[in-house]
Amino acid sequence: MTPFPAILLLLVLLPWYAQTQSMGEFKYDETELYAETKQVNQFFRRFNGEEDKQGERLYAKDKDFRTYKLRKKYVPGLFNLENSILTDAAKENFSALVLDKEDPTYLDFHGGAWLCELKTVFTYQGVEDELTMFLVLQEEEVGSKWVIDGIYFEPFNDVLKQPDNSNFNDSKFLHPLSHELGFMNMFRVFNESDSLEYFGNREFKPDYLSLFFYEIKKGRLEYKTVKDLKFHFFQIDGWYFELTYYNRDGYNSGWLISNLLEIDEKNRDILLNYIYHE
Amino acid sequence: MKRLSLILIILSGMAFGYTAQAQTDISPERKKAIDSLAMEKIRDLGKYISIIGNKQTPFSEAKRVIDRTLELFVEDAQMGVSSLARDEVTYYGIKEYLERLMLLNYDKVKIEWFNIQYISDLELQPDGRYVGVITIFQRFEGTSDDGLVYKDVTKKDITVYVERKQTQIQGKLIGFWDVLLGDIRVVETTK
Repeated sequence: MTPFPAILLLLVLLPWYAQTQSMGEFKYDETELYAETKQVNQFFRRFNGEEDKQGERLYAKDKDFRTYKLRKKYVPGLFNLENSILTDAAKENFSALVLDKEDPTYLDFHGGAWLCELKTVFTYQGVEDELTMFLVLQEEEVGSKWVIDGIYFEPFNDVLKQPDNSNFNDSKFLHPLSHELGFMNMFRVFNESDSLEYFGNREFKPDYLSLFFYEIKKGRLEYKTVKDLKFHFFQIDGWYFELTYYNRDGYNSGWLISNLLEIDEKNRDILLNYIYHE
Repeated sequence: MKRLSLILIILSGMAFGYTAQAQTDISPERKKAIDSLAMEKIRDLGKYISIIGNKQTPFSEAKRVIDRTLELFVEDAQMGVSSLARDEVTYYGIKEYLERLMLLNYDKVKIEWFNIQYISDLELQPDGRYVGVITIFQRFEGTSDDGLVYKDVTKKDITVYVERKQTQIQGKLIGFWDVLLGDIRVVETTK
């Protein structure tokens, strides 16, 4: 994949900007910094055509606000163009949908259907390990806030799995007349901790978030730091895309679309389960 | 300068007919005035950091400037630093960060700004304050007395809290927008 569209974008947007700043003995070409999509907020603005050529915020009263012309220039440069897994066909179809002149599609910060996957580091029982948090933006009576929607932590998943109930379970059960014995056979449930989950009801689903809060409160799980993050967007009907930060040289850098898939409702649920490790 | 900005914000608040109740949106014009005040505070921060990090600055003066710097921030603001080699964030309290900088004792500290910055929208948070993030790029160059030069280019994402407050001027209650800095994330860039 070539970075050609990004360069093209820069040629269109930046002839006025091609300046080298001189700071003492230090010379620097600032066009790369201009081109970088520096915040997720800026990704929204550029995607929606809410930023002018000078990088100024546009509002509904402004002439170029959300115009097709402006968005047509920005959107091609919002894809990761280096070593990308994105296909030209997907990019074209997606762009055609969001830039449709009759019925354009915009992203909405408060529109839901997007989430953050945050890699963090915790110490669990003295051992440092990576823990993934899934965060969503929750609207409140006043304002909004990010909340933890779920977690993935390997030590939890290793110990507590969702049992595979798709197959007939003919060995791990309490027989139907156990009550007549006052459940004296209950000890069998606890003989093998590995198969404990099979004695739960059919709908049993481990709640790792509760476990997470519990272990922190018990002092066995301790927060160290954050590492990395990316975003998953399901806001555009029929599409999924992933947003990743690229800290690199060149004009195609910052927050960019790193994965793009056309998906139906069913695949959307499968993908969500996959992201959440469910 | 600071006072001038405060007056500017007060005037803009009056000019756009702000009422103290149920302020849910900030007009583009007022947003611009708030952005200017926030940028001024960020430039003050850069200026103070240069003074604190400079060996020529007497200890007592550096301590005084640290106190001035802390006035720019909300309580408990943190500096989160990551590098190209290590993406994990290391945290420093602002005071701790400034004191470390003072102890580094560079013979000369040069902080240069790029003209590029990005100022996010202001978002309302549940406590009624607005929050924004300003991204700036800075080049730091510290020269020690043996001539060794440490330099880096960093991207700094600076949290800005904006709050509507009131003050009494000649017996009249006047509303104004107060801006304080919050957590700062510092990322080393490849640029």
